[in-house]
Amino acid sequence: MSVSAYSERPGAKADENDGFSVPWSRPRPKRAVVSARLVSAITILVLLAAWTAAASLQLVSPVFLPSPAAVWAKFVVVARDGFVDATLLQHTLASLWRVFAALIAAILVGVPVGLAIGISRIGRGVFDPLLEFLRPIPPLAYLPLIIIWFGIGEPSKILVIAIAMLAPVALSTAAGVRGVSRERVDAARSLGATRAQVIRHVILPSALPSILTGLRIALGAGWSTLVAAELVAATRGLGFMIQSAAQFLVTDVVVMGILVIAIIAFALEFIIRRVERVLVPWAGRE
Amino acid sequence: MTHLILDKVSVHYDGQPAPAVERVSLDIGKSDSGRGDFVVLVGRSGCGKTSLLNVAAGLVEPAGGLATVDGRPITGPGSDRAVVFQNDALFPWLTARENVAFALRLRGVSADKRARRADELLSLVKLGDAGDKRIWELSGGMRQRVGLARALAAEPEFLLLDEPLGALDALTRERMQTTLLDLWAAAQVGVLMVTHGIEEALVLATRIVVLAPGPGHVVRTFETHFGRRYAAGEPIRAIKADPAFVAARAELTDAIFEGEAA
Repeated sequence: MSVSAYSERPGAKADENDGFSVPWSRPRPKRAVVSARLVSAITILVLLAAWTAAASLQLVSPVFLPSPAAVWAKFVVVARDGFVDATLLQHTLASLWRVFAALIAAILVGVPVGLAIGISRIGRGVFDPLLEFLRPIPPLAYLPLIIIWFGIGEPSKILVIAIAMLAPVALSTAAGVRGVSRERVDAARSLGATRAQVIRHVILPSALPSILTGLRIALGAGWSTLVAAELVAATRGLGFMIQSAAQFLVTDVVVMGILVIAIIAFALEFIIRRVERVLVPWAGRE
Repeated sequence: MTHLILDKVSVHYDGQPAPAVERVSLDIGKSDSGRGDFVVLVGRSGCGKTSLLNVAAGLVEPAGGLATVDGRPITGPGSDRAVVFQNDALFPWLTARENVAFALRLRGVSADKRARRADELLSLVKLGDAGDKRIWELSGGMRQRVGLARALAAEPEFLLLDEPLGALDALTRERMQTTLLDLWAAAQVGVLMVTHGIEEALVLATRIVVLAPGPGHVVRTFETHFGRRYAAGEPIRAIKADPAFVAARAELTDAIFEGEAA
């Protein structure tokens, strides 16, 4: 089930009342739906105004809170001239590359692991405790160990992110596999499908909506691990940029970096929802 | 003549105190020319109808007795016995045509060949122009037709229908009954069907087996001929209005509720 496929009572008319509706299910005029977004927009504007006011009235020292204008100016400067030897675009691409390499690794490992958990008791016995062990550990806790084992190069950084992504991918795949309708599998078997064909042609496509949800969660988890991954011996990346700026108390770059990370996370979420709509148009419609 | 035979089959599910079915025998024949048997299982809930169908499908292993096709024991599901379920169990990531062609794809039939065959079968179930439709764009009746066409694509000797019309509205049901009779004639298969519909059983079956629960056993067997009259050209509504049909319906209803505490 994808939440995006849900729309607020498609057939409902504004003045419709069937006499059975409880108050909270009564169709509301369309205005009410729009105003939730309006409230969000107003909230953001108010916060921006408060930020501008606080900064221009010098309520807080610019060292702690640079003004929005200063952050924007810094954005333009870093985008053009760079910060710590790389432009904003180069930092962003370095981070995106790490996150996507980690995502590929997490898919290559996590989907088969999830499949094994979902279809075989032995698979569940082997991998379930491992994932449950791995899942709650914060990346900063295993980062030192990974550096001891794999050094300070690029593979270590990707690995830190990939570990954070593994559990959501594997567990969502397993949930999707376990949710496959029994009848669908039986129908395929009675049409002559072998065990491998059932997995390839029925179980994987059935689990695809759930797998994509897992990827969405994993991208969020991986992106939020970025700063930890770029903590040691990075020369590029948004996380590295923020840390370098923090060490020199360049607060406007810190704030700008945080905003860029947030905006990219938002964009990734948006893109993967689009991908979901294209790849699994049947989700929520069965 | 090929036979799907259940010989004194018992079914006992793990963790259940009593067996679901005890020593039930069925024989579904499929003639090599012309139509085969159309055996319909009816009975109250819990009488083991679906368990028996699953044994025939090879999805449930009998606790006792033997299930065979043409003398060979049934060891698992196979495309000689295609199953159609109550909830169509179609694949929503495929179009209607691709669903029908599924069995052929498993066998490695080339893409254009299987598309052609799928379109033939879709026309047979009167969905000739729905090949490109997605499953969620189809009504319940249309989905069930796609399910039937998909089963026939496997070129089974026997069709196993588990309440195929159970989820449909009454009017669609009426229309699907004649579709089933037409398919049965066209595909030359033996049919084993489970249903709750008494009228449906009488219209379709060549033989009706009435089961009763506790554990599931056969209480009566009726040979019927109303389906053959439809095949001979008599309109379905005239058959259903025939006093002989009305009497048979009363008799069958009595048989189903026989022995039930009132």
